[in-house]
Amino acid sequence: MTALLQVKDFHYYYGKIHVVKGVNMEVREGEMVTIIGANGAGKTTTLQAISGLLPPGGVRGEITFNGKNITNSGGDKIARMGLSQVIEGRHIFSKLTVQENLMVGAYCRKDKTGIDKDLERIFKLFPRLKERLKQLGGTLSGGEQQMLAIGRSLISNPKMILLDEPSLGLAPIVFREIFETIKEINEREGKTVLFVEQNAKLALKTAGRGYVFQTGEVVMHDTGENLERNPEIRKAYLGG
Amino acid sequence: MLARVLVSGLVIGCIYGLIALGYSLIYRASGLMNFCQGDILTIGAFLGYTFYAMLKLPFAVAFILTIVLEIALGMLLERAVIRRLLGKKVDGTYIVLATIAVSYMLQNGAILGWGTRIFYFPPIFSVLSVRVFDINIQSEAAFCIVASVILMIVLHIFVKYTAYGTAMRASAMDAKAAKACGVDPAMTIALTWGISAAIGGLCGMLIGPVYGVFITLGAAIGRKGFAGAVIGGFGNMYGALLGGALLGIIETVTTAYVSSIYKDVVSYGLLLVFLLIKPTGIFNERAIAD
Ligand SMILES: Nc1ncnc2c1ncn2[C@@H]1O[C@H](COP(=O)(O)OP(=O)(O)O)[C@@H](O)[C@H]1O
Ligand SMILES: [Mg+2]
Repeated sequence: MTALLQVKDFHYYYGKIHVVKGVNMEVREGEMVTIIGANGAGKTTTLQAISGLLPPGGVRGEITFNGKNITNSGGDKIARMGLSQVIEGRHIFSKLTVQENLMVGAYCRKDKTGIDKDLERIFKLFPRLKERLKQLGGTLSGGEQQMLAIGRSLISNPKMILLDEPSLGLAPIVFREIFETIKEINEREGKTVLFVEQNAKLALKTAGRGYVFQTGEVVMHDTGENLERNPEIRKAYLGG
Repeated sequence: MLARVLVSGLVIGCIYGLIALGYSLIYRASGLMNFCQGDILTIGAFLGYTFYAMLKLPFAVAFILTIVLEIALGMLLERAVIRRLLGKKVDGTYIVLATIAVSYMLQNGAILGWGTRIFYFPPIFSVLSVRVFDINIQSEAAFCIVASVILMIVLHIFVKYTAYGTAMRASAMDAKAAKACGVDPAMTIALTWGISAAIGGLCGMLIGPVYGVFITLGAAIGRKGFAGAVIGGFGNMYGALLGGALLGIIETVTTAYVSSIYKDVVSYGLLLVFLLIKPTGIFNERAIAD
């Protein structure tokens, strides 16, 4: 079976600075895959380049999604193809209400009934969003903003979701809850998920497979279980 | 007397408000001040005059043709000048200077096309004036107020309640996040420039029949519109409308009860007062203060 998302010999340059150096990755339909690695390893750069959210001039290599070459296709087009990203730092539209944020998330859809149905599903996952529909995005708590960011991505009814550090800046109890939901989205709704996570322990427990990034390269990839047991990984990322 | 003064204050105030709104929309979308807003109004007035008075087209047709051409002009300006400069990471101040350069080019272009004399619109309506609450209002003036208010409501509904308008606001707030939602920020920005130019053109078509059409018609209105936008809170749609309307009324009252010599002193004095004491304007918008 060919992969839903395939990244081949991918490099990224910010001007002359070479930050991602020949990454190969693939994610098959229905999988839940994680990327772990230290700060500055190039995880965000890779994810955002996949989604076409970085200046296209810096990309080398080939990215295919759902059988189509999407290298430098433009972020809006890629989103419309069903590859949605919850970008690092949440990026809620702070002066739009929760409802309006979700409306922008559904921007590329025209099927009103489908949108309403998905909205109900999202409210089931995150009941707090429903209670705060009229509130401005910027006034939500960090956890609620993350829920909104995920909801805004889900409402586009994507085939695959990329999440960049969904636990960033959240209290442990909140991000456990969010991870449970991400798992649910993968298992029950069958969405393919690729997520970046600083909390390696949690990431490897949640994901079926993982890629380990180090200074712009993939230094290891294996199942979540194997990585969790690997002595090197334990030493470097799991605190011994 | 006061009622009549207030009405003519409202006529010019509506125009200031709409021009101020144009500044605010563009500030939100591209993060800069576009100083050709006023000259786009002039072009609109000349185009409208040409279609209606010279080519004898029905007013509604002249109106629509003018708006369409102005949308094209606004989008062209964004694509040919603004986007290129932004892409080169030119400092915002220089891009604002570029809009001033374009402003003079539009003025000179208008001289080439129409010369320097003043043109008067033939009457648009068969009745000269309408009577409201015991005062006679020139038909064109009444039309200006009514059409402005309708335009404000239409814009409000478009920006606030339609999917496209919401996407426009979203991409002005956070282009990357909007892109990740499938919105094309390049398109929404171009469209914002188109809409602002359309507002300018429409104002030209509304105020031309009241004031006459001449080369510097828009330049003065453009500066006042800018002052109105600051007073209302730069970047805020509703602040722009309120600031502009207020300015129009204040300057008309000054002209009527003090002297027209002082009207600009009062208007620009008010601008300075706001810049010094409350740069966030009536609606407390942070754009200038930051
Ligand atoms: N806009 C940029 N310009 C130049 N260098 C950048 C830019 N963004 C990120 N970098 C650099 O690229 C490297 C990878 O960053 P990033 O992809 O954000 O890493 P991660 O998400 O793994 O923490 C870092 O060294 C970072 O400093
Ligand atoms: Mg990162």
